[in-house]
Amino acid sequence: MTARTPRGRAWARLSQSVLSVWLVLPLVPLTLWVIARTWPYPAVLPTSWGWTGLHAAYTDGVVPALTTSLVLAAATAALAVPAGAMAAHALAVDPPPGARAIALLLLAPAFVPPLVVVMGLNIALLRLRVPPLAGIVVVLMVTAIPYTTFVMRAAYAGYDRAIEGEARILGATPRDVLLRVRIRMLARPLAASVFLAFLVGWSDYVITLLVGGGEVVSAPLLVASAASGAGNEALVAALSALAVVPPLLLFVVVTTMSRTAPSRGTTPTPPQELLPPHLAPVSVSV
Amino acid sequence: MSAALSVCGLHRAFPGTDAPALDSLDLRIGPGRCVAVLGPSGSGKTTALRLIAGLDAPDRGDVIIDGRSVLALPPERRGLAMVSQRPLLFPYLSVLDNVAFAARMNGAPRRTARRSAQRYLDLVQLTSSARRRPATLSGGQAQRVALARALAAEPAVLLLDEPFSALDPVLRADMHRLLAEVRAVLEPTILLVTHDQDEAATVADSIAVLMNGHLLQHDAPARLYARPASLAVSRFLGGLNEIPGHLVDGVHHSALGPLALAPGATILNGPAVLLVRQESVVLVSADEPRVDAVGRVARSAPRGARQLVQITTAAGIIHAEPAAGQAPAVGASVGLLLPVQARTAVATPAPVLRICAQGNGRTETSPEPRWAGSGPDRTSTSGSS
Repeated sequence: MTARTPRGRAWARLSQSVLSVWLVLPLVPLTLWVIARTWPYPAVLPTSWGWTGLHAAYTDGVVPALTTSLVLAAATAALAVPAGAMAAHALAVDPPPGARAIALLLLAPAFVPPLVVVMGLNIALLRLRVPPLAGIVVVLMVTAIPYTTFVMRAAYAGYDRAIEGEARILGATPRDVLLRVRIRMLARPLAASVFLAFLVGWSDYVITLLVGGGEVVSAPLLVASAASGAGNEALVAALSALAVVPPLLLFVVVTTMSRTAPSRGTTPTPPQELLPPHLAPVSVSV
Repeated sequence: MSAALSVCGLHRAFPGTDAPALDSLDLRIGPGRCVAVLGPSGSGKTTALRLIAGLDAPDRGDVIIDGRSVLALPPERRGLAMVSQRPLLFPYLSVLDNVAFAARMNGAPRRTARRSAQRYLDLVQLTSSARRRPATLSGGQAQRVALARALAAEPAVLLLDEPFSALDPVLRADMHRLLAEVRAVLEPTILLVTHDQDEAATVADSIAVLMNGHLLQHDAPARLYARPASLAVSRFLGGLNEIPGHLVDGVHHSALGPLALAPGATILNGPAVLLVRQESVVLVSADEPRVDAVGRVARSAPRGARQLVQITTAAGIIHAEPAAGQAPAVGASVGLLLPVQARTAVATPAPVLRICAQGNGRTETSPEPRWAGSGPDRTSTSGSS
């Protein structure tokens, strides 16, 4: 690797600064709207300040909506990560005949538009009389599994299983190997998978709307409902800001976990190209 | 930490391959002894180690530790420990916790496991590195930790799978010294797998030569060089001189004339190849009356501190390896002395080593080897008789 010249370092710093401004800039009006009482056009800043937006969000049911989203996202992660990890293990460690076709099949929900996926499954779930919340979780899991599978598959591809043999010889049972070696060794990609699956559940709109049939109100549904009306800028801003908090907290937790996990080079990290495009900016650094 | 290990008729063939990776391997290691399995890449060394460790299952054969078959036991219950070419340390644990791993797996409280681990870290002279992470260690340090971790498991048999081959020569020599110190203190039974004959000769009490899945010879290092059981063993150990002829009553007859073999190097009468290590060939004046052969120097090339000299004789090319300053010039006539103690002969095909008797589908270890010859202990043998 060649060392950077002072000019190169300056360019890198400038690029980082521009990128940071580009990412942070849209959040400035959002933050201002959260604490604005009135902000008439063409004023540059709000003309009066207050917590109107947050009060309105509370009145409109943001707490139950966030709770519902949290349940959906956590359940999606809890189901999609183990399922994806197991599928990835099977595909990467001991590939069955037709592994490529199976891999494509697993990836299919990521290719197919969500509306198509949900319409097919929606009918099946209605006929089976599956409760709306459970139905949503099932469909979200189907949507999230491609991502968790491919993140973990890439991780397993670079995972040296010799360390498990070493652990066995040193007295570790298969259960010990799973809990004390494999999960610890794959902590980074597992954390990335959890984060991805959580985001799939957290940010979903179409599946919750169609499968939930209006009975299940999650944070994205509440935000969309508020945003469809006029003059709700403060409310929409408050709802959006609140909706950012849980993924942000998870991101902090995941990043902290990654710091304690094996360093780069000893444990594979998921390749960035496997991350869903709309999630890439927040998830690639875990 | 000192148990006897017997491997009886261990056989492993992998699907899609013509020849078995390991063909009925028989090997015995006495308690506290160190045996090196020496062979080129692909000879089945690591396969043997994996079968013994329980990481792979043999098609047939048995692994016996202290008279008890461990074949049905999973790796964690065989009482073994292994150090591989790569240290395979757990990167998320400190050096101390890596060494304490086996004790923790056996249910020891963390404090007790760490206290015990510290003793083994002291043994490998890494006391001050206890809190470091494996990623911060050098290659040599990491391998020391791996050795400490294996020793801390207090195994019945310690398996070493080319543990020092990734280290530079200086570090390797350090590790050899360390292993000798560990042997002096703990007297572990060790099975070392290596392709490095110098390492095998330095570290082990006896060497088992494995090629193409077959055990060709198991003997003390000095005897292995002096009395190779076959041409393959001689060649693998770097022997260059092969003189075809016939053996009659302990005397080899060839284009060089009759040459008596050393006592103990005698094989049955018949076609035989005379072997003399190039290091043992003495170059003298062609006029010397007691020479065994005369010839002319065809080539001379440096070989470290010595010179490899090719001499054309009546029996073909014979190699000698004198000190660099004492090598004759190319084209010079020289006399060759082939010391009697350095002469040995092999017949083809080479004898096959078997130490386990087969009976009623069950493999048992025979109390004594079925071939003659003496070695460093009762488990070491020579295949040359």
